[in-house]
Parts: sequence; structure tokens; C-alpha cells
Amino acid sequence: MKIAVCVKQVPDSETRINLAAPTAELDSSGFTRILNPYDAYAVEEAVKIKEAGSDVEITAITIGPDTVKETLKKDCLAVGCDKALVITDPALDHADAAAIATVLSAALKKEPYDLVLCGFKAIDDDNGQVPILIAEKLGMAHVSTITSLELGEGTLTAHREIEGGKEIVQASMPAVLTCQKGLNEPRLPSLPNIMKAGMKPMETVTCADLGVEVPANLVQIKQYSPPPARGECKLIDAEDPAAAARELARLLNEEAKVI
Amino acid sequence: MPNLAVFIEQRDGALKKVAWQMISEARRIADAAGGEVWGVFLGPDAGEATTEAAKYGADKVFAATGDSFAGYNSQTWATALANFCRAHNPDALLVGSTALGKDMGPLVAAKLECACISDAVGLKFDGGLEVRRPVFAGKCFTDVTPTTPVSVVGIRPNAFVMEEKAGAGAAESFDAGIDGVDQKATVQSVESAGGGQIELTEAEVIVSGGRGIKGPENYELIEKLADAMGAAAGASRAVVDAGWVDYSHQVGQTGKTVGPNLYVACGISGAIQHLAGMSSSKCIVAINKDANAPIFKVADYGVVADLFDIVPVLTDEVGKIRG
Ligand SMILES: Cc1cc2nc3c(=O)[nH]c(=O)nc-3n(C[C@H](O)[C@H](O)[C@H](O)COP(=O)(O)OP(=O)(O)OC[C@H]3O[C@@H](n4cnc5c(N)ncnc54)[C@H](O)[C@@H]3O)c2cc1C
Ligand SMILES: Nc1ncnc2c1ncn2[C@@H]1O[C@H](COP(=O)(O)O)[C@@H](O)[C@H]1O
Repeated sequence: MKIAVCVKQVPDSETRINLAAPTAELDSSGFTRILNPYDAYAVEEAVKIKEAGSDVEITAITIGPDTVKETLKKDCLAVGCDKALVITDPALDHADAAAIATVLSAALKKEPYDLVLCGFKAIDDDNGQVPILIAEKLGMAHVSTITSLELGEGTLTAHREIEGGKEIVQASMPAVLTCQKGLNEPRLPSLPNIMKAGMKPMETVTCADLGVEVPANLVQIKQYSPPPARGECKLIDAEDPAAAARELARLLNEEAKVI
Repeated sequence: MPNLAVFIEQRDGALKKVAWQMISEARRIADAAGGEVWGVFLGPDAGEATTEAAKYGADKVFAATGDSFAGYNSQTWATALANFCRAHNPDALLVGSTALGKDMGPLVAAKLECACISDAVGLKFDGGLEVRRPVFAGKCFTDVTPTTPVSVVGIRPNAFVMEEKAGAGAAESFDAGIDGVDQKATVQSVESAGGGQIELTEAEVIVSGGRGIKGPENYELIEKLADAMGAAAGASRAVVDAGWVDYSHQVGQTGKTVGPNLYVACGISGAIQHLAGMSSSKCIVAINKDANAPIFKVADYGVVADLFDIVPVLTDEVGKIRG
């Protein structure tokens, strides 16, 4: 069985974005980059499938600048992926979800993958689109935000989170799955494995190598702006806690009118 | 003169409130810029959806009914909506960012090869559509424009105010064109988590507990206050990772993103990843014994005290106010 895991490098969740005024482009030079946390669930699930069965090959695929290689090595190859494919092309610097999906689909067509595992969203653009667009382009089934997975003969069963419960979904393979927290506990790479990961194959290609042209963006970014400023915090005197609690209830009811 | 189509979601016949929020906003845009507001409904019976949509200002309600739309199937439903867009050419199809909407919206866009914009919180029409959405988990916002004639726009629940304003609500049916659709993935069953809990992402009021609650046995305090407020109960990741409550309660960058009218944070320090999920809440209350906790930087009301002294009294008091 062949599994592809699509991974994206994103700014660390600690990253602060301090915009004073609207700007056409974000200055990302100071960002520390990590593997998208949801992609770690996708990697772990692929590795678990490999450990449970025989003859499973896992390819980690990413679109990003040269700096993604470190993430691929440490967070994908060192925890059990077999090889990596890096698609690096300046033409993709400002690509939107549809363009990313087009290029990833071209890469995914090169081999007959049975499963394509993705994160359910990237924590930078917060889109949650790329995997579903890929599924449609490749004519595969998709199940999104899964929290459990069981593979059968040419089919799979996954649990998917919905409001107030879960859906139990059966899908035909090949399929694209997007992973949610709860699916598994991603392992950490060991130092020896990080060393050994350097020996695993990592191929770097451009869009031309894949024979794909980068389509024009369907969504254009006009500007980035800071979130609306919040007012001062009204501190309630808590000398007498019970009185403070009552005063808080009164303020929420009469002043803020939210209860 | 945009014609804005709004998807009206039903699950087991229950209609989602986010549809009325979207129709209200579309009505405000249409009143200012011209154009029509359309409801689009998939389900066994369109009666209630049509009446309700008219209440909030829909000019027309298009429906495809039948057993195929009793339960959700991504391929069937997305095909139907794509066919609706091909037949009626709305300028945008607004879809609530619910579990179903997030799964179906991008698929509709893929079928139409059109722009897809997720999780929007603001819409403007000035010659063309401009959409505002949070990125980097709300640490900044971006304004984007679709370049295709139709676009699919996901709308975050509670982003828009619901407002009654009578519309004609003329009922029309449309041809879903779903014969022979390959379903690919099918829902076998739905398991309810039980107990009529209010869903975090849809809640208008949320009470969350953090590590300050000390142990799983005290999460009940949070749930009681939530009950009294008619609120959903949330949690920080610290509480979820400790196994005190289920992950479905987690608010934050790797949990749920919420935007209620009121968010009450009890014993939560306000780490950047937590703020990422809730800082767009309209009114924020912080109850924390550490006056320097970062949560106070985003709070509108703060009480520096032991939550065990505050929360029970607050629960009683809120109970009295709300009767
Ligand atoms: C990649 C990544 C993703 C993350 N995603 C999330 C996320 O989605 N959501 C999230 O919440 N966190 C997330 N975190 C974790 C985050 O960094 C914090 O560790 C977490 O939010 C802390 O939870 P807390 O506020 O409950 O606990 P703490 O930081 O320990 O704070 C407890 C607070 O309770 C107060 N307190 C203690 N006792 C009392 C009392 N008796 N009365 C009143 N106050 C009291 C203390 O003063 C303190 O401020 C993420 C971290 C990483 C690295
Ligand atoms: N540049 C990329 N390279 C590889 N995979 C990606 C890329 N962008 C998005 N993905 C995959 O699609 C998922 C959802 O991303 P998004 O639609 O951008 O929120 C991610 O978690 C990845 O699995």
C-alpha cells in the first residue's frame, strides 16, 4: 500500500503578529516555523498503518521554500515516513488553496496512492480547503476531521467530528482523509532517528518537473489588518468575593446586556 | 447588484441558526447595493425553511427535496448545490462554517472550479464582493476578493446579527441533478455525545474552565455556571490534555474557534494559543487569582479572586436574573 502525507510548514503557534496598520503583505521574516500541528496527526496515522501491516510505503509531500527540508527530516522522515518530495517553486510563493491543490494533485498523480492523509487545516491560513479540493481533482473519496480510522479491503471506516457527536463514515479507497486531534498521539523523533533520517531519499522538484502550470489565484488578498482593538478591562473589586460575583452578574445583565 | 444565495442547513430536520444570520446580512447588503437574497435548501421538506427564510428577508427560497437529502452525503449535496449555482448564477453561495458546511463548501467550489473563502466574518459589496476573515487563528485579519463570477463563502456562526425583516420568500424548486452520483463516502450512522449539550462554535455564551479548576471533579462548577447562563462549556488545552474533559470542549488554536457574545474564562491564564480561539468574542470576562495573567489584557470585565469563591455565587445570581 502506498500512503502520501501532505504536510505544510507553518509559523509556530507562539508567533505574534504585531500590525500597527493595514498592510498588503505580512513580514514573516521573524517567524519560527514548525510542522502544522494537524499534519502531525496525519504523519502519525500513516506510521501506525505501516507498523500494523506489511509493505506500506509512506511519502511525505510538501510545497514550500527550501527551509521546509528541516521539518520534513525531523518531523516526517525521522518518525517513520520512507521518503519525501519537496515542491519548491517561486511561482508558488503567493499561491492560494486552489493553486496549491492543483500542484499537489499533479504530484499525487505520479504514483498510485491508496490513501492521502492531510491535516484538517493549516494554522496560518486557516483554510481547511486543500485536501477536499485535491480529493475532487483526483476523483477520490474524502472524509474530513477524522478522529478514528479503520482500514478494510478497499474500504475504510472513519469517525468524524460533528456538532454534539460524531458520524461513522464508510468510504471507498483511494481516499483523502483530513486528521483532527484525538486521532492519535504523535510520537517525537529520537536523536538517532533524526540522524538516520538524513539518509532517506528526499527529492526536490519544480512545477515544470511535475509538468504542471501554476494556475492564477482564484482568491486575491487585498490587505492584512490588525484585529479590532479591545477596550480597557473593568476590574471588579474583589475584597468581598461574594459581593464581587453579584456585581459581575449585575454588570453583565445591565451594562453589557449579555445575560 | 449581487444576488446572494444562502445555504439553509438542516440536520434531522432541525434548521441551523447560522442560516438566518447569513440571510439577515445578505438582506442588509441587498438593501444597500441591490440584488436579491435567495435561500437554498436541501432536505425532505422545505416548508419550515421557506417560512423562516422569508422572516429574515429572503426574496426566494429554492429547494431540492426528497429522501436523498434526508441525511448528509458530501458528493450528493455538493453536486446539488453546484448544479443550483450553474442554473441560477448567484454571485456568491454563503455556507455556514459548521461541520457539514466546512466539509461541503470546498467540494462545491471544486466542482464549480470557483473561488472558495473559508470562515468569513465580514462581507462588503462595492462593485464586487470583499470578504473579511481572520487568519493565524485571529491574530490578524485579511480582506480578500474572489476573482471568479461565483464564489463559495464560508461564514462563521455568530459573525452576523440575526434580524427579522419580512421578505417575499417565494418558493421555487430546482433540479438537483444527482441521478447516478457516485457517493464515494457514506455516513453509516450518527452517534450523539448525549445530553443536549450546546455546541461551542454555535453558542452565544460560553463558560470555560482552565487549570485553575484544580481537578476533573470541579469541572462541574463550570458546567453549572454554563447551565445557569444557557451557555456551552469550554476548556483550555491544559484541562483537555490532563484528561479532565473531552477534546470537543477545547477552545484555542488547536481547538475550536469561537466568537460568542459572552466568554467567561475561569482559571485560564490566557496563553496566546487560547486567545487565538476566543479573542473575537464580543464580551470577555476573566476570573483569575493572578492579576498579571494575560487573559486580563483581552477581558472587558475582570475579577482577581479565587474562582471557587466567585463561580458558585455567580451561578446563583445568574440563576436569579434569568429566572
Ligand atoms: C502547538 C500548541 C497549540 C496549543 N493549542 C492550544 C489551544 O488550542 N487551546 C489552549 O487553551 N491552549 C493551547 N495550547 C497550550 C497553551 O500554551 C497553554 O499551555 C494553555 O492554554 C494553558 O491552559 P490554562 O490557562 O488552563 O493553564 P495555566 O496556564 O496553568 O493557567 C492556569 C491559570 O489559573 C489561575 N488559577 C489557578 N488557581 C486558581 C483559582 N483557584 N482561582 C482562579 N484562578 C486560578 C492561575 O493564576 C493561572 O493563570 C497550545 C500550545 C501549543 C504549543
Ligand atoms: N503547501 C502545502 N504543502 C503540502 N500540503 C499542504 C500545503 N498546504 C496545505 N496542505 C495540506 O492541506 C491541509 C489543509 O490546509 P489548508 O487548506 O491550507 O488549511 C494541511 O494540513 C496539509 O495537509
